Amino acid sequence: MILPRFDYYAPTGLDEALSWLAEHHGSGVKILGGGTDLLVDVRGKIIPDQHRPRCQEHRDGPWLARYAPTESIEILLALSRITELRGIAVEVNCVRIGAMTTITDLERSPVVRTRLAGLWDGARQLGSPLVRNRGTYGGNLCNARPAADTAIPTLALGGRLVLASIRGERTVDHSDFVTGPGETILEPDEILKEVVFDLANDPAMGSAYLKLSNRKALEIAVVSAAAMVTFNSPPAEQGGIKGGVTKSARIALGAVAPTPLLVPEAGEALVGKELDSQSISEAARIAAGVARPITDHRGGDEYRRMMVEVLVRRVLMSCWERALAGTVEEAA
Amino acid sequence: MKRVITLTVNGLSCEVAVEPRRTLAELLRYDLGLTGTKIGCSIGDCGACTVLIDGVPSLSCLVLAMEVEGRDILTIEGLADGLKLHPLQEAFVEVGAIQCGFCTPGMVLTALALLEDNPEPTEAEIRRALSGNLCRCTGYQKIVEAVKEGSRKIQLEKKS
Ligand SMILES: Cc1cc2nc3c(=O)[nH]c(=O)nc-3n(C[C@H](O)[C@H](O)[C@H](O)COP(=O)(O)OP(=O)(O)OC[C@H]3O[C@@H](n4cnc5c(N)ncnc54)[C@H](O)[C@@H]3O)c2cc1C
Ligand code: FES
Ligand code: FES
Repeated sequence: MILPRFDYYAPTGLDEALSWLAEHHGSGVKILGGGTDLLVDVRGKIIPDQHRPRCQEHRDGPWLARYAPTESIEILLALSRITELRGIAVEVNCVRIGAMTTITDLERSPVVRTRLAGLWDGARQLGSPLVRNRGTYGGNLCNARPAADTAIPTLALGGRLVLASIRGERTVDHSDFVTGPGETILEPDEILKEVVFDLANDPAMGSAYLKLSNRKALEIAVVSAAAMVTFNSPPAEQGGIKGGVTKSARIALGAVAPTPLLVPEAGEALVGKELDSQSISEAARIAAGVARPITDHRGGDEYRRMMVEVLVRRVLMSCWERALAGTVEEAA
Repeated sequence: MKRVITLTVNGLSCEVAVEPRRTLAELLRYDLGLTGTKIGCSIGDCGACTVLIDGVPSLSCLVLAMEVEGRDILTIEGLADGLKLHPLQEAFVEVGAIQCGFCTPGMVLTALALLEDNPEPTEAEIRRALSGNLCRCTGYQKIVEAVKEGSRKIQLEKKS
């Protein structure tokens, strides 16, 4: 099955891309990152009978259902030749990650692993190595799925998105970026340029992301959770998990709402308290209460809500362990 | 409208006229006749279409031909030296890691890139690296063994 017909334009500079977009944006123009979402969506789908009973929206209909592509394109603006959009730059107070940085680049970056460990967890769990080699960070964020594996940690880590157009640049928090499933505040003439993370000079901090799924690879999360915790003083091991007063905490959830969901209440409940099993359980309960999951073929709403509580507990433990150890092992 | 692009495939430079909607997998199979690259799903799920783009294992069904202008592509056809198989291919044959063979080109290329990066991977590293290449026949055990055997063969060859 070949792809529908479209045209293709690949500028080599961001300015060139922005002026072109200012002139041509409108229906049928689409931005191409790595294409691992877009080139799937431009194909029609054929869903054979055996898959239908589990999948509510497709329950009725012909034996072999065909679905029209969800994206229709006249021309693609390809970003792959714009070298300035790819790369991870470490500055004194922040890290800047270009939108065309691949998921594999994130996974292999020492600074992402040590300073943005939750994002490292997300990158390692996205799709498969082949998808990660091609898929980009910017594409994962702009595709705006509620379970996007780099979006949930980006939200927890307080990532800010730099959106560029010929009119200039604006910076928005990730929490303001996604407005619905597949929908963002990007204007038609805007391109996501980079994501910026502040590097706070706290005595200790830890972040982590966990994804519950049926398989280890090639799975969209049933639910997922990310957290970042900073401490007033380095946490200490005192018989199990105890020690370390929380200075700030951010908790974000995936696949439990139409957008990645920040749960400020849960984070705030930890501030000024020892990060121990009691405060962790309390925060996890709050997060589960705020989650609004649906029932679909990946899981029931009740199950998802229960799992939110478990995952939040575990990511917070992981944050604590990482802050204590100062090193990053795979979260479990 | 078709456009002419230049790329290197298995060490040979070639010029092809393609439509922008042409995927790399289609270019290889239909324009260049290199049918070793398989198309299983066309949506990134199976890995049968894996080729190396500048050494990086990539899903050729999700890469437009236009995107590989000027790049270096290695397909399964580029591995053997005349009639002599690459040591990793030999290992797949000897260990019995091939049944229907549909996944094999992608498996071999993904494994080759792994061994370039990491000449002596652990079993866990092999399984992780191959996790985007699906096989409906072998149950993977033999494939993992073949990659280990391939690693040994390549090391031996380097020494001699
Ligand atoms: C087999 C398979 C498995 C997958 N598994 C996962 C998974 O486990 N978890 C997960 O989160 N995702 C998964 N994905 C989805 C996808 O791989 C990721 O979302 C990826 O990061 C998308 O990046 P891309 O560069 O390929 O995006 P593209 O497909 O190029 O673009 C995605 C969208 O973002 C827009 N866009 C891209 N870049 C920009 C930019 N810089 N500025 C403005 N708009 C832009 C595009 O117009 C498009 O609408 C999977 C995909 C496949 C094919
Ligand atoms: S054909 Fe490319 S992944 Fe299946
Ligand atoms: S040998 Fe048949 S799919 Fe792997």
